[in-house]
Amino acid sequence: MEISRIPDAPEAKQSFGIRLKKGFREYRIAYLFILPTFIFMLLVHVLPMIQGIVMSFLKLNQFTLSQYLKAPFIGLKNYSELLFNESNPVRQGLGYALRNTAIYSVVVTISVMVIGLLVAMLLNRDFPGRGIARAAMLLPWVVPSYVVGVLWGFMWQKEGIINYILVDILHLMAEKPFWLIGQNTIWAIIIPTVWRSWPFIMVVFLAGLQTIPDDLYEAAKIDGAGRLRQFFTITIPMLKPIMAVQLLFQIINNVYSYNIVAMMFGNGSGYPGKWGDLLMTALTRQTFGYWSFGVGAAASFLLMAAMLIIVGVWYRIFRSELRVE
Amino acid sequence: MKKIEYYSLNTLTWVIVAFVVFPIIWMVKVSLHKNGEILQGITSMAIPDPQWLNYKNLWETINFGQYFKNSLLICTSTMFISCFLAVLAGYALARYKFPGSGLFGMSVIGTQMIPGIMFLLPIYLLFLNIKDTFGLPMVDTYWGMILVYSAFYTPMSIWIIRSFFVSIPKELEESARIDGCNRIQAFVRIILPLSIPGIIAMCVYIFLTAWDELMFAWVLTTTPEVQTIPVGIRLFVGQYTNRYDLLMSAATVVTLPVIITFFLSQKYFISGMTAGAVKG
Repeated sequence: MEISRIPDAPEAKQSFGIRLKKGFREYRIAYLFILPTFIFMLLVHVLPMIQGIVMSFLKLNQFTLSQYLKAPFIGLKNYSELLFNESNPVRQGLGYALRNTAIYSVVVTISVMVIGLLVAMLLNRDFPGRGIARAAMLLPWVVPSYVVGVLWGFMWQKEGIINYILVDILHLMAEKPFWLIGQNTIWAIIIPTVWRSWPFIMVVFLAGLQTIPDDLYEAAKIDGAGRLRQFFTITIPMLKPIMAVQLLFQIINNVYSYNIVAMMFGNGSGYPGKWGDLLMTALTRQTFGYWSFGVGAAASFLLMAAMLIIVGVWYRIFRSELRVE
Repeated sequence: MKKIEYYSLNTLTWVIVAFVVFPIIWMVKVSLHKNGEILQGITSMAIPDPQWLNYKNLWETINFGQYFKNSLLICTSTMFISCFLAVLAGYALARYKFPGSGLFGMSVIGTQMIPGIMFLLPIYLLFLNIKDTFGLPMVDTYWGMILVYSAFYTPMSIWIIRSFFVSIPKELEESARIDGCNRIQAFVRIILPLSIPGIIAMCVYIFLTAWDELMFAWVLTTTPEVQTIPVGIRLFVGQYTNRYDLLMSAATVVTLPVIITFFLSQKYFISGMTAGAVKG
């Protein structure tokens, strides 16, 4: 033993050197592989983002835009305009947009998660035509979101099919309401979004449900646990990591939602009204409409900061559920 | 009792299917009506006189073919570029723990948290700058759009393909290396062929997302020669009176290739998209 150990020692040292070299070689490939993406992200994500932040401190309007690098530095003025000046065009209507985005994001996210989970459980049973049902339910998710905006905008019209079904067939209301004007508008944008988004969540949950071993349910049954109890003590906890990830992506998607609303109302140029305007549509329209790019940049920076806070809260809540490989 | 439950749950499932599919059927149905009928309000499910000509007129009323071609060209190029970049970066992230890999992985996900409008004007101005400085037009060009889209859809694609690479056992590569392959050869000959399903899933994802993009297309293109379908489709409303017949047939035409692509690749796509979501 002793004898065999002694000649080993220098070799071990050498092999460390070789390991280091080998490690370098390994890393070299890794760096080589991420290099193109890195450059790309630097050019199209990082650089514009920094530029966006810088722009939020500049006086940028139609006059200074062409020479924007030399635009006057005005410190936090854009931010104070945005927060305190009621008559600033970008500020106008932002309160409504903020409220609508909050309602929209919360309602869509919760509905999508609940419907997705319930239908996934419905489809996780054995029944004839299961494959067809699953494929058919996925259809809305494949429809481009601008088509969803165009299509539902058409269906919501006063003499449209939805009012016909609600009023003339089901007699749920006395007269046909306007869906694209007034308080109803928020439903006119929430429902199509839910219609389009839930199938994906359903598919993900379905895949998750299939990874839960049957023995768990068997054991629970033997212990006398009812359906509801099984759902809350087995299904929900087992799906929690998936829920956490999907929740995050839903929040991001919904807060930054643009296409459906943009296409549903005046095809992008129009004002969706106090109950239909979302942050993204309001910011884009007002910033570009009034050439108020400094204030717009300040608003998008604040929006990003808010999103980072939301993500931080999300991470604190779900930290234990996330297994990082 | 069990039987009643079984059948009522089945019925519920099919009712949901009907609700979910109805708007799409309605879109196709409306596209087969005369515009006059549509403006009066359609109520019955029957189509008395299917207007197949709508699908022909669509290409003649506006230059729909051009928009279609632009979308197809931009999305396909984006798909290839993003796919190439994401496969490389995703593989590096899946196999190596190099200094900075954690940060790189985080920033890949972090890009999703930045609102699009944050990039919109800076990129527009950057494009104008490039033209002023290098004389290279970027706004209203295919490559400008392709560049922006590729960069935007690469991060999420990296995330999708990374989880796929992680699921391929390391041992396969190691045995290939013992057989005399170098790292690149092992990657190209062993890992790439095995990850075809994941790559298909990722490509479909990129294509569908790019096909759907509206905001950047709106700002970065101004001429019909480069504009994509979502920008062009609004011409049916407002520009020339409301042509709902053509609008709905256009909507059907742009949805159809997406649905076909999706169902052809469904097997790979679903497993690929859910792999990342389920394994975390």
